[in-house]
Amino acid sequence: MFPTPLLQLSKKHPIGIFINARVLRDQMKREAFAENEQLRQALRYISQNTTLHPRQRAQAQLQLTTMHAHTRSTQFKNRCIVAGKGRGVFRDFRMGRYQFRLNALAGNLPGVKKASW
Amino acid sequence: MSVLPSRARLLELAKTSCRIFSTTFNPTGARTGNKILRQRLRGPNIVDYYPKRMVGIADLRRIWPDRVFIDEAEVMRLEDVQVAKIRGKGAPKKLRTKKEATRRKK
Repeated sequence: MFPTPLLQLSKKHPIGIFINARVLRDQMKREAFAENEQLRQALRYISQNTTLHPRQRAQAQLQLTTMHAHTRSTQFKNRCIVAGKGRGVFRDFRMGRYQFRLNALAGNLPGVKKASW
Repeated sequence: MSVLPSRARLLELAKTSCRIFSTTFNPTGARTGNKILRQRLRGPNIVDYYPKRMVGIADLRRIWPDRVFIDEAEVMRLEDVQVAKIRGKGAPKKLRTKKEATRRKK
């Protein structure tokens, strides 16, 4: 099947494959982070620039701390795209360890081979 | 034996070099926060972590209501349900009255 931009989808959630509340929440945090990233970087620049006035830097620091928690980069977590698990997720495959094993044994992951010696 | 030029002269050299190669002249190593400006924005990659929803049968039906799209998985499921019913393994019938429901619970 072809990706979404070619056809207008109904206004449901934008995520494919697996969805549960935690995945949706994670996606929400990711979007919040992406939206506020430029502002956060600007504030970080001001607060870490020692050539600026200390008062300015303190204000920037204060604004950073008062921003919503979901705009922080530490809030989202890579989850398994097949099962939604939050632990034991391979970064390269975006899959939990068990889903990785199942897919690797089924031959869905190019270049992944069961070790034997 | 060669003698090193004076400190002022060396600084001037550094300044000129910075001007020519358009780099920042910062002899004291003061923290200007430029490393933050140099960082790339991570947002677009981070938003795209989960795969996007693909166009499905329901979307096709919505867009072209006059055409017929066959959902093979759904057809298979309905067939299985029929087979289960024939074997007497179908879902139980819905209870009509409240009394029946409470009797079942006991």
